[in-house]
Amino acid sequence: MRLGEALATCPSLQLVDPDPAAAEEAWEGIVRRLEDAGIAVDPAAPGCAYFETSGVERLYGGLEPALRRALRAVGPDWDARAGAAKRRFAALAAANVARSGQALVVADEHAREFLAPLPLNLLPLQARQQQELADLGITRLGELAGLPGGAVAERLGPDGRRAWSLARGGSSRRVRGRKPPAELFETLEFPEAVGNELTLRRSLGVLLDRLLARPERGGRALRKLALSARLVGGGSWRRTVTLRDATAESARLRAALGPKLLDLPAPAVALTLEVLILSESVGSQLELVQPEGAELREHLREGLRQVSAGTGSGSVCTVVEVAPWSRLPEQRALLVPRDD
Amino acid sequence: MVAPARAASTPGSARRLNQPRRALVEAHVDGSPRLVNRAEVTAVLEEWRVVDRWWTEEPVSRRYFDVVLAGGEHAVVFRDEEVGRWFSQRGV
Repeated sequence: MRLGEALATCPSLQLVDPDPAAAEEAWEGIVRRLEDAGIAVDPAAPGCAYFETSGVERLYGGLEPALRRALRAVGPDWDARAGAAKRRFAALAAANVARSGQALVVADEHAREFLAPLPLNLLPLQARQQQELADLGITRLGELAGLPGGAVAERLGPDGRRAWSLARGGSSRRVRGRKPPAELFETLEFPEAVGNELTLRRSLGVLLDRLLARPERGGRALRKLALSARLVGGGSWRRTVTLRDATAESARLRAALGPKLLDLPAPAVALTLEVLILSESVGSQLELVQPEGAELREHLREGLRQVSAGTGSGSVCTVVEVAPWSRLPEQRALLVPRDD
Repeated sequence: MVAPARAASTPGSARRLNQPRRALVEAHVDGSPRLVNRAEVTAVLEEWRVVDRWWTEEPVSRRYFDVVLAGGEHAVVFRDEEVGRWFSQRGV
């Protein structure tokens, strides 16, 4: 429905800004609660996760008690429902059909019968392809499953072939639980909303320096990071970056993350950099000759560490120029605490 | 948006460099400072005005003085003509 049409239908309609960072945070909370219940979770997308119950069935006394425990772990604030089957797609379809708070179990021998009357919109097909099937009189999974696979592939391409395979139950791939993410993040709150690229890039540099200095990193390189911002007037923004080669070099990380800041849709009041995945190894090729000034910088860093240890957290700051052209002196630079 | 000159910063977060601080100033009839935080002003080195953002709802109108105090200390003070108060921005 178009916005104008929606407003005409419902004049008291309230528009809510998208808040992907809050959604991500809430979803991460749910996944962690499931992991706390001993379940190895494979989060497919916010709102949808797969897991195998075989590891926890003995702990909770069977399949259904394990599913009920999983629903309890999600919490009452969410309209959670669970589906169980031997194959992923059948389990997803069962969860879609289940009522709020219900766990629906589909035996493998009945999976085709269970799927047959369900609508096609459960399949990962584009609207155009769904419409094409509807025009041919195919509206149920069973009707699609009954067609020859080759004919479906010829008409709809690889997506159609995959949908046909899912309509017949899909493959029974193993579910692999994710590795729990590293809990490493740094946030910088601005005294007022910041929209200019220069300030944002400098702030990103400060956040990177702080993250790289965190002892929890244990010398490991960064593999996947998320950059998020709280936007002026509500709402948020979030981008994730996976590095081809894990690195702990500030310059390379800046080069990878900096361009993402151009996508910010509005000025930010806070910027957060989060490490999602750290590399396993700490080894890296050492340099034969250190770059000029490296020793001096190390001495300076050590001196700052001593001052910081003696005077407390937040006593050592970096001056970040944000608007050097401003006629108001207090607008020209920020003092950003550093605890490295 | 310009934060009010007296805005406080949150501990642990970024804060402004050269944030104006309230100052106790007594002025001559011509508006130049005579006492800054109870210290006598021995010389006014420079005086200037900053008028900015007059097109917004938070206009800025300041009259700055670069002064030398009796103890030999340099200070920069200004009178915020929007709120009618004195602030120091360097020294004192």
